[in-house]
Amino acid sequence: MFPLDSPWNISFAGCGFLGIYHIGVASCLLEQAPFLVHNARHIYGASAGALTATAVVSGVCLGETGANIINVAKEARKRFLGPMHPSFNLVKIVRHALQRTLPADCYKRATGRLGISLTRVTDGANVLVSHFNNKEELVQACVCSAYIPVYCGLIPPTLQGVRYVDGGISDNLPQYELKNTITVSPFSGESDICPRDTSTNIHELRFTNTSIQFTLTNLYRVSRALFPPDPMIMKTMCKQGYNDALHFLKRNGLLNFNGPLRDRPLLANGEDNEQYNNNEEEENSKGGEREEPPHVEEAVVVHSNFSEEEHIVVHLPPTLHKALIEACMERRSLVQSLGNLLPVRMASAMMVPYTLPLESAISLTLRLLEWLPDVQEDVGWMREQTMKILQHVFRQTSKSISQHMSARFSCQLELHHYQSLPSHLGSTKLFPNWMMRSSSSFQDVFNRLDHYKRQLLSGVLCINMDLQSSFDTGPMSPDKRSSSFTSTDGLIMRDCFEIAPAADSGDIINSSS
Amino acid sequence: MDPGTTTAPIPSDCETESSSIWNWWPSWRPTSMSLLKTAESKILACFQNNLWTRFVTLPNQDRIWTLTLTNKAVRKPAEQAIKTPLVMVHGFGGGIGLWIRNLDALCRSRPVYAFDLLGFGRSSRPPFPSDAAKAEEQFVDSIEQWRQSVGLENMILLGHSLGGYLATSYAIQYPSRVSHLILVDPWGFPERPQTQTGEGQSQGTEVVKRPQLPRWVKVVATVVSFFNPLAVIRAAGPWGPGLVNRFRPDFKRKFEDLFDDDTMTQYIYHCNAQTPSGEVGFRAMSESLGWAKRPMLQRVHLLPPSLPITMLYGEWSWVDKSSGDSVVQIRDQGHTRVMLITKASHHVYADQPEEFNRVVENICNSVN
Repeated sequence: MFPLDSPWNISFAGCGFLGIYHIGVASCLLEQAPFLVHNARHIYGASAGALTATAVVSGVCLGETGANIINVAKEARKRFLGPMHPSFNLVKIVRHALQRTLPADCYKRATGRLGISLTRVTDGANVLVSHFNNKEELVQACVCSAYIPVYCGLIPPTLQGVRYVDGGISDNLPQYELKNTITVSPFSGESDICPRDTSTNIHELRFTNTSIQFTLTNLYRVSRALFPPDPMIMKTMCKQGYNDALHFLKRNGLLNFNGPLRDRPLLANGEDNEQYNNNEEEENSKGGEREEPPHVEEAVVVHSNFSEEEHIVVHLPPTLHKALIEACMERRSLVQSLGNLLPVRMASAMMVPYTLPLESAISLTLRLLEWLPDVQEDVGWMREQTMKILQHVFRQTSKSISQHMSARFSCQLELHHYQSLPSHLGSTKLFPNWMMRSSSSFQDVFNRLDHYKRQLLSGVLCINMDLQSSFDTGPMSPDKRSSSFTSTDGLIMRDCFEIAPAADSGDIINSSS
Repeated sequence: MDPGTTTAPIPSDCETESSSIWNWWPSWRPTSMSLLKTAESKILACFQNNLWTRFVTLPNQDRIWTLTLTNKAVRKPAEQAIKTPLVMVHGFGGGIGLWIRNLDALCRSRPVYAFDLLGFGRSSRPPFPSDAAKAEEQFVDSIEQWRQSVGLENMILLGHSLGGYLATSYAIQYPSRVSHLILVDPWGFPERPQTQTGEGQSQGTEVVKRPQLPRWVKVVATVVSFFNPLAVIRAAGPWGPGLVNRFRPDFKRKFEDLFDDDTMTQYIYHCNAQTPSGEVGFRAMSESLGWAKRPMLQRVHLLPPSLPITMLYGEWSWVDKSSGDSVVQIRDQGHTRVMLITKASHHVYADQPEEFNRVVENICNSVN
């Protein structure tokens, strides 16, 4: 049984359009075990999970939220390219829906209780926002948390002056590691509430903390996270969420925990024996609940038969059911059904090369117009980012070039050293003493030189080029070689003197003098 | 104490590496047996008791990397000798290092043996046949030959995941050698549901039925099934370790009180980035993403009723716990117990080590 003596949290995983699953879970928890939601210390969410978490915390009708999700999905499916169509503006739709549904005082209820997972753009770190000053900020936090880069747009939105993107990128299941967090994920895996696929696959991934088992159904679900399925399938997912949550409650003996035994409209089909089984099981769990001490008994002998519960058919709460049905049915207009005819669909598909540029142009203009108020801020940000990227690229390339050059240089130098030592002892006497040491110290000096050169970024390239050119002259005569050595020698000396103020260059100066 | 103590007469542990002319070529995968050895020795250094690791050479020249842990406090080994030893078999893609949080506690009353399965970890990596029954036989034979080489008369056999499947198969073939069979989240028990649609129709129209999977999913599954399960890690080459870190951070977290660096994920990477062998065997025994070709539930009745079995399941694990109940039903005469460890994922032994150790120790003490 779930330990209720210490504070607990609920965490909703990010999952794109599968967020409808969370609606089912949340409605089940609210209906069957309201204390579990109302007394939870924190309710966390990332991406689509954040939307559900916000709805739960601010007490919005879940049916409306579910209908909103389905409407967005329908909007996305309406076009030929689905959500990738340029005229589909997910951020705008989500923002409008949130503005419409959230009550005015939602930020007061959410502050301190709701935790929204965000990814900070500058360093990719995860931020858990739980303080909101007004409704706008709450809406903006939700938008940020659902903002999948590239999929939703290119310029990340700001919250309290900081740019954020989808929380799922850094932490898809916030605070899951706390022992008392009820984790909800629409992907079958090792979360508390998740679909149980009948599979025995050994492989399991953790996508930023969300456990995803490698099964075919999960593969399908992942694909549907960004490309929404048919509304009816979404409704089934919602139902499954309800089912899985009910299963969770039952497993943990939380069903009707401190509420009266209600005659629940739970069982859909009138098969008596199933109903009987269910009631019996429920009583079992209740009985076990009474017997057990409040603290957790770590190992419990399993009584219930899990496979039986697969077949229990569940009805969603009436309000949610009605809302979802309405959302699904809306498309039955004459124009819609005409548009669904095969020739019309084929024609529209064939027209895409012509209509797409036009639609793109229109939507682009619209977006530009909507963008106007933020242009200054965003352009400034973009310029900043571009500068940063350019600087980084420049630093990287110059570093790699200098490394590459000095590696070739020292390699060649060593080769020359070995070749020249036995036969041309005389010529080597030309060098100062410190150059006559073993090749390792020789190498060491050049490594050090290389180090300094890297510090003196501006001088690097030309020096290296110099050296390269002096050494690339192919097979050299002894006197030529010695001259090249002296030239490097000169360079070294010059370098040494140039960098004389540097603290640890002392030994070179000493040894050379 | 010294994790590197190897008493086997083989001078180099790296001899399994190929000595072709391509040896000078930098490897695409940053792994080798010696890197695995280094990672493993970091883990084994945590053991508190008398540790003895060695290669046990089987009659067919395969070598099984074996770990023996005996209680330091017990002066005379004879005291422990009368106790039936506990033998632990790891799961798919694992190795002896994963038992780090269990062996110390479990060796209190009796010697504990753990070994890398044939084709996994540091053991030999022979080719496996593609026939399910033959691959299984090769695994089971290697366990039996290992037992003979080590000289154990009988044992308490504990298997996790794939190890649980093989342990059950072993117990079916050599029941007299097993005093108690402990299966931790065993793989390969349930049968693959054949006709999902027919089942759904009998329930009426309002059944919560999963949407029919689109065709491309099946195509992807077919393509994937041509590859070894962990081929991605090897194909990723230099990005392999990062991949393990990224997609299995839970391993790091499970052992974070022992290692605050990437030791555990590195160990797992090096265990699995080597030439695939046990993986091939696993692939031969499984079909369509993880179902067993020869499910254990069809064969559990072959176990003698006198052999006690305990099945441990993790609460959050994806392993279907109902197969445990099915085993109880099938073996209505025999002693079978199914237990659930709360707040534990598939890797029960690492998530709830204290509870796991307590349960296993109780079982062991019930034997002798």
